[in-house]
Amino acid sequence: MSTPVVELREAAKTYPGPPAVTVLQPTSLALMPGEQVAVVGPSGSGKSTLLCILGTLDEPSGGTVLVDGKPVTGMRERERSALRAERIGFVFQQFHLLPALTALENVATGLLYSGVRHAQRRRRAANALEAVGLAHRLDHRPGELSGGEQQRVAIARALVREPGVLFADEPTGALDSATGEAIIRLLAGIADRGTTIVVVTHDEHIASRFARRIRLRDGIATENT
Amino acid sequence: MNIGTDDKESARPMTRGLTPADLARTAWLGISSRLQRTTLAALGIALGIAALVALTGVSASNRAHLLSELDAMGANLAIVSPADGPDRKPIPLPDTAPETIARQDGVARVGVFEAAPEGLAVYRTDLVPETESNGLSVAVARPDVYDAIGASVASGRWFDQGTRDLPVTVLGATAAERLGIHQSGDRILIGGEWYGVIGILKSAGLATDIDTAAIIGDQWVRHHYAGGNVGSISAIYVRAEPGRIDAIRDILAAAAAPGSPYVQVTKLSDLAQARTTTDNSLSSLGIALAAIALLVGGVGIANTMIVAVMERRGEIGLRRALGARPTQIAAQFVTEAIALSLLGGFAGLLLGVAAAALIATIATQQVVIPSVVLAAGPAISLIVGVLAGLQPAVRAARLPPTTALRNI
Repeated sequence: MSTPVVELREAAKTYPGPPAVTVLQPTSLALMPGEQVAVVGPSGSGKSTLLCILGTLDEPSGGTVLVDGKPVTGMRERERSALRAERIGFVFQQFHLLPALTALENVATGLLYSGVRHAQRRRRAANALEAVGLAHRLDHRPGELSGGEQQRVAIARALVREPGVLFADEPTGALDSATGEAIIRLLAGIADRGTTIVVVTHDEHIASRFARRIRLRDGIATENT
Repeated sequence: MNIGTDDKESARPMTRGLTPADLARTAWLGISSRLQRTTLAALGIALGIAALVALTGVSASNRAHLLSELDAMGANLAIVSPADGPDRKPIPLPDTAPETIARQDGVARVGVFEAAPEGLAVYRTDLVPETESNGLSVAVARPDVYDAIGASVASGRWFDQGTRDLPVTVLGATAAERLGIHQSGDRILIGGEWYGVIGILKSAGLATDIDTAAIIGDQWVRHHYAGGNVGSISAIYVRAEPGRIDAIRDILAAAAAPGSPYVQVTKLSDLAQARTTTDNSLSSLGIALAAIALLVGGVGIANTMIVAVMERRGEIGLRRALGARPTQIAAQFVTEAIALSLLGGFAGLLLGVAAAALIATIATQQVVIPSVVLAAGPAISLIVGVLAGLQPAVRAARLPPTTALRNI
C-alpha cells in the first residue's frame, strides 16, 4: 500500500476561550495519490479549517498531520514553508492573482519560493498555462481576463511546480455554472494524471462529481464511501 | 500532462532562498503596482532629505556669505604697531618688518602706514575756521595698504607709483562725507597746502581709522616734509588667509621685530569672536532641523509600510501558501521600504540642491552644499528605510497564512 499524500490522525482544532470554540472535532483521514475528494458542508461547518490544516497553513490544536508519511506537527515554520513550496498547491475562490503581473508572471510566482531560476520559472509557467488552455493569454493581466480564465491562471500557478496535492477552496464560487463546470473538468483531468485533488464546496451538485466525499457539519467529518 | 519539470530540477534541495534579483523584482512589484501610495510615501522621505540638503545648503551658503562679509569687514585683520618704550616714546618698528611679516605662513597681505608729519589738519577750503577740523586725520600710506585693508574706491582711484609722489589725496568714506566731497577731482587743504582728491574709498569696515582719514602718498611726504619721525612705520595692517588670524596673531610681534617687547599687535578680535560663535550656532541649528525633517520622513515611510502590510494581507497569505518563509516575507517588505526610501532620498537630494541653489541665488550668495551632505543623503535614507521597514516587515512575517487569506 502506498503512503498517503496527507494524513490526519485525530487532528482537531479548538480556539481557546472562554468560551473555547471547537471548529473541528478529532478527525482521522488519509488522502491517497491521485484521489479526487470533495469536502462538502454548509458555511461555518469547519471546511476552511480542515483545508488549512490539511494544507499545513494552520496547525491543529491536537492530533497529528503527516505529509508523505512525515509528521508536520512540530516542524519549524521554515520547513513547513518548504514543504508547501514543494508538495502543496492552492486554488482560491477569489483567484488571488497579483493584478500588476501578467498571466505568465503570476504563474511563475508559483515557483518563486521553490528555488527555481527566473528564466526556468518563465519557461515552466508558459508550459503550465498551455496545459490549462491559456497559451494565447500569456501576456494578459488579470484585469484583461474573464473569471474562468483567471481561475485557470490560478490553477496553472498551483500546478506549475507539480504538487502532490492540490487544494481548491470553492474554486467555482465566483464563476457562472458553465465556466465552473469547465474548471471542475480541468481539475478532474489533473487528478487523472496523479495529483490528489481536494475540492472544498458547499455545492452538492459539484460534490457529486467526486468519488470520495467528506461531509462536515458542526466540525464533525463523516465519509459516505 | 507534462508541465515542464526537468530531472535536474526535481533533484533540488528542499529549501532555497530568493536571489537578490528575485527580491528586487518582488519589491519593485510592490512599489510599482501601488504607484500613487508609494509616490506619496517616497515624497515624505524626499521632503525629509530635501530639507536636510536644503537646510545644510542654505546654512552653509549663509555661513560662507557671513564669513566672507566678516572677513571683508576686517575680522581677519591684525594691526602691528610700535609700542611705547621705557621713556614713553614709541620704539619704531624696523624697516624690514613688513617683509618679514609678509613671509609668515598664513599672511595674505601686508599694508604699511607711515607716521604723518605733526600738526597737519584737513579743511575743505581756506575759508574754514581752523578749529573746525571735523575730527579728520591725515594718514600716510604705501600703495600696498589698499589690498591689505581690502579697500575699494567709491570714486576715482588709489595711489600708484606715479601719484604716491604727488600732492594728491585719497579720502576715507567718512572724511569725504564730512568734507562734502562726493567725487574725485575736487581739492582740499591739508596743512595749508592744496591737494587734489584723486579717489574716495568705500567704508573700510572695521578699520575705522581709515574712514576718517585723508590719505596722502608716502613718497610725497618723504620728499616734501623732513625731520621728526617722517618715513618711520606707524602701523602695519596684516590680512590673514581665511581662518588663520588666530594662528598668525601670536607670531606677528616676533616677526615684526625679533626680540623686541615693544611691538603692539591688535586683532579686531571682537568680530573674530563673533565669527567663531556664528559658525557653531548655524551648524547646530542646521543639524537639528535636518534631524527633525528626517524623523518625519522616516515616520512617513514606516506608516506607509504598516498600512501596506495591513492592506496586503491577501498577497502575504498567498505568498505564504506558495511556500514563502516568514523571513522571505520580511525581506520583501524591508526591501520595499529601502527601495522607497532610496527613491525618495535621491529625489530629495535633487530637490534640496535645487532649493538651496534657488535660495542662495535669491539672496545673491554663493551656493555652498557640503559634499558630506551629498554622500550622507542616500546613506541616511538607506538607514531610515531599514529602520522604518523593520517593524512592518516583522509584522508581515508574523501574519498567520490563514488569517491573511481570510482577510481578503
